[in-house]
Amino acid sequence: MSDPRTQPADLTKWVVTLPPTFFLLVFFLTPALIVVAASFGEPGEFGGLAPWPAHSLDTYRFLFGDIIYLEVFARSFLVAVLTTLICIVLAYPLAWLIARSPARRRDLLVLLVILPFASNFLVRIYAWIMLLGPANLLYTPFAVIAGMVYVHLPFMILPLYTNLEKHDPALLEAAQDLGAKVWTRFWRVTFPLSLPGVFSGSALVFIPVLGMFAVPELLGGTGDILIGNLIKEQFLENRDWPLGSALSIMLTIAVLALAGLTSWAARMGLHGTEAVT
Amino acid sequence: MKPQHWLWAASLATYAFLYVPLAVVVLFSFNDSTLNAQWVGFTTHWYAKLLGDGEMLRAAANSVLIALLSSSIATVLGAMAGLAMHRYGFRFLPLLVLTPVAMPEILLGISLLLFFRQVLDLTLGLVSILVAHITFSIGFVAVVVRAGMTGMDESIFEAARDLGATPWATFRRITLPLILPALVAGYLMSFALSIDDFVITFFVAGVGVTTLPLQIYSMIKVAVTPEVNAVSTLLMALTLTLIFVASRFAPDVLKVKT
Amino acid sequence: MRRLAWLLLFLLSTARAEDVLHLYNWNNYISDDTLARFEARCRCRVKQDYYSDNEEMLAKLEAGAIGYDILVPTGNAVESLIRRKALRDLDKAQLPHLANLKPEFRQPWFDPQNRHSVPYATTVTLIGYNIDRMQALGLPTDTWALIFEPRYLEKIKGKVTVLNSQRELMAAAMKYLGHSLREQDAAKWEQAKRLILRAKPYWATFSNSTYIKDLAIGNIWVAHGYSNDMYRAREDAKAAKRPFAIGFTTPREGAVLAVDNFVLHKSGQRPDLAHRFIDFMLEGANAADVSNLIGAGNANTAATPHIRPEIAAEEGIFPSPPTLARLEMLRDFDPKMRRALSRMWTEIKVR
Repeated sequence: MSDPRTQPADLTKWVVTLPPTFFLLVFFLTPALIVVAASFGEPGEFGGLAPWPAHSLDTYRFLFGDIIYLEVFARSFLVAVLTTLICIVLAYPLAWLIARSPARRRDLLVLLVILPFASNFLVRIYAWIMLLGPANLLYTPFAVIAGMVYVHLPFMILPLYTNLEKHDPALLEAAQDLGAKVWTRFWRVTFPLSLPGVFSGSALVFIPVLGMFAVPELLGGTGDILIGNLIKEQFLENRDWPLGSALSIMLTIAVLALAGLTSWAARMGLHGTEAVT
Repeated sequence: MKPQHWLWAASLATYAFLYVPLAVVVLFSFNDSTLNAQWVGFTTHWYAKLLGDGEMLRAAANSVLIALLSSSIATVLGAMAGLAMHRYGFRFLPLLVLTPVAMPEILLGISLLLFFRQVLDLTLGLVSILVAHITFSIGFVAVVVRAGMTGMDESIFEAARDLGATPWATFRRITLPLILPALVAGYLMSFALSIDDFVITFFVAGVGVTTLPLQIYSMIKVAVTPEVNAVSTLLMALTLTLIFVASRFAPDVLKVKT
Repeated sequence: MRRLAWLLLFLLSTARAEDVLHLYNWNNYISDDTLARFEARCRCRVKQDYYSDNEEMLAKLEAGAIGYDILVPTGNAVESLIRRKALRDLDKAQLPHLANLKPEFRQPWFDPQNRHSVPYATTVTLIGYNIDRMQALGLPTDTWALIFEPRYLEKIKGKVTVLNSQRELMAAAMKYLGHSLREQDAAKWEQAKRLILRAKPYWATFSNSTYIKDLAIGNIWVAHGYSNDMYRAREDAKAAKRPFAIGFTTPREGAVLAVDNFVLHKSGQRPDLAHRFIDFMLEGANAADVSNLIGAGNANTAATPHIRPEIAAEEGIFPSPPTLARLEMLRDFDPKMRRALSRMWTEIKVR
């Protein structure tokens, strides 16, 4: 005989889990699979996709037939790496300052970080169009990096500050007592402990930057086309949906691989800090 | 102490980096020049023009309507997901719920475009935008609700069950009040996300339904007058208010990002 | 909660109660004045969305932009739409002013019986430039070499934009090389591609619409673009009292002539309003706005007396017969050729 207390609990489990699961299976997972299928399709006569049976490896043959398409991925990765590194450098002092501030000032400082984030990201890009135009720096790689950093900086500051806030000041005092200089204290104690925060922030910057097209489109020059721009063009100009889908699949795989790498590294980092403490 | 000064200087520089560009946008919204290349004179004319701009007002109304509807549905579904993730150990659930948040937006936009057009043959419009916004908001609300439930004393639920409470009663009288701050915070944040969204909406919006970010994008590319600055300034004020109110309900929500 | 529901109902109902004409048009291709006059006359509202390239418009339609009443495609795009059976037939009975069309615009090659399209305006894709800068640098402004030859580009590196359009940019290259735009030999298009790739490092960016403002402000000194946009840039610069003037010239090697037409998309909800709009635009005074206010060429005889003399004399807007002879209209290709060209375009973007 089943326990009357657990029976309704089982029902609750499904009532609670099924609706969001169903919604996401239909509107997230299925579309993702459609994209995979589309990448093996053939372009329709007027654009879009040719009717179902038509399929070919043509698109992938085209993409892998010339190294330049992988170079776009490489370029996008480079931009993402640069943006992430610059964000870390810019965010760290500020995050540290906020973490070390007394509670009331801390809330104000955090709010001051969020305020620019309250603007629509197109507005943030437009701000740089206004600034860089007169400075003759518009449509350059510098403009793209500046735009990318500017749009994503708050995403680095907040996780970093969250992590730094949890650090025990006693650790640094101990290091100081043992004779360590400022830089050594930072590099051997603070930074390793902050790695989870750094990784969180990096994930929040790196992955969106990889897929972004608005920044290169509005701020970038002829050599700054990134993978997001290529994908957008296939759908909204070239009408080559199989090519756009194939590029999307490759980007997805890259992102998934990265996410896997990040969580693996974060776990490694955690083991490392456990050894320290 | 030298390191202290250096820290303050670097932080100030970062704040300046964050604020100067936006300050320029706000300042030049008062510029009396159509080309907006250099400062000519002060005027509030662009704000007046904005308020009389039918297209802009309709886009704003659409944005608000979509945000209201999508946040409501996303909060319900996201709360369910958050509860489920916290209480039941389904391995697939966090993956399914959080991946839409983690992926570059363009992938979500493209996949929904393909799905709506190739499979459903749906005319793009209000519904397509709604579905898209709900999809990326669910994960966010789920994270907030799950975070709101950590640290909760599980014995309360056991006590309720022992006293013979039905699951629904437990939910209504115990769970709901406890997660209410997280729910409100999640609702407000997904509202802000929805109002702000550009990339995904760009791919799934149809004819006749423009949202504010799409309108701004069109203005930046086609008709760049200080009206863009004016609408940007107003939008900033609105989103900031929302985030401020959200932070009052759940201060921790600002710290929980992943 | 109930108040919210009422608000929503109200918003939805007001949306349906109005008479709305959905117009999908080139940016900067119809003046607000003209639209306002039409809205007053028909007591309806015109909602305009913009595109800056035929390919963009066709791609958007393919991606599900359903519900536009009127589109304004160029001839080759009209042909493509007709083949796709995406257009409604015109009801000539609702277009009494159709007789105003200039004879040379009746029975165009893309729509021999004018069954689906009504010509609206013409533009030439040419080079716009900052007159003062070009004089100071001693650069020629009547040839495509200005945007394709490194010896000229060196002096204006980072100050040149080209159209973000596979058809237009490759057409300019083909014209410079002396080939026809209907060339079927892929090798000649490859030649054009190499010409473009050689010049690409000197160009600032690909731009379909932002160049208007960039020229007028002075961020950019040379732009590959549409004649009506250059006219707008020139007027904007004048109005803002910039310390330079903008000019535009049709290159001597030839260029693309675009005849843009009103067509009715079959997914449009208001063909009645659409017909009224087209007829309104066929009236002489309204058609003249196209030239006077927009700076585009005119297909309407009744408009001629209304057109300002200085506009009528503009070579870039109303090309003289010798120039006209060097202009060519874009034609659509078969799917195989189109695919090859669009793949070439992707390569151009990436290399």
